Amino acid sequence: MELRGPNPDRALADLYELLVRGLAAALGGYGGGVEANFGDFAQEALIKITGNLDSFRGESRFTTWAQKIAINVALTELARKRWRDVSLQDLFAKREAADRGPADTQLTPEELAFQNTVLGELRRIVDEELTDRQREAVVAVLLEGMPISEVAKRMGTNQNALYKLLHDARRKLKREMEAAGLSPQEVLAAFEEG
Amino acid sequence: MLKRGEVVKLVRVVAETREVEIGCDECFERLDSFAETELHSGVKASAAMPLVGDHLEKCADCRGKFEALLRALRGT
Repeated sequence: MELRGPNPDRALADLYELLVRGLAAALGGYGGGVEANFGDFAQEALIKITGNLDSFRGESRFTTWAQKIAINVALTELARKRWRDVSLQDLFAKREAADRGPADTQLTPEELAFQNTVLGELRRIVDEELTDRQREAVVAVLLEGMPISEVAKRMGTNQNALYKLLHDARRKLKREMEAAGLSPQEVLAAFEEG
Repeated sequence: MLKRGEVVKLVRVVAETREVEIGCDECFERLDSFAETELHSGVKASAAMPLVGDHLEKCADCRGKFEALLRALRGT
């Protein structure tokens, strides 16, 4: 790709075509008429690519690096559109109303008692040991499945910082479970059986 | 409040938590190299770049970008 060469327009046109083909291969099954946006995504990616040529480190093919940028543009915008009408308050309100299912009626009384003890302790850890922001992030990202990029915007931060906040929360949960004598393997075995 | 049906999902990701994990920015920086390793090198990329592989197991956003990039590379 000779974007810095004597005929950059030809190179740009070739790269644009490649990005559009790549987006079609990556997102062809997405639905919702997303194909109509491939040209716009490719154009926006070209602006980012040409504006950041110096950040290409040569650790992969240039076209791979460029396709990564186009994928990022596309998926970020698609997530924004998919979640634009969902606030964190909506998410938490729906969650309180949703039934996540009763205990498995196949459990013995002892198994049910163990599950209830574990559930009570995990609830205590989540409600009392995490900060408010950590709890909000854990619920929105890990339990409700909202994209981390979208949660980050609503929490006034960026994706990278939110991942680190979630990492801190997970480390704290792990330490508190260990302190409470809760082995993750035992908990998983108790809740995955039956 | 944590729901009964969410215990497995939460405890699984807690159990996999490591003291050192890279963030989304660093993962994204290395995603093109990771994808090419996966496709062309004959080596599992997660063995060659374990911190990236670990992040992709935990971060649905980044994993989505990686899987889309693989499809793009295979299709062009």
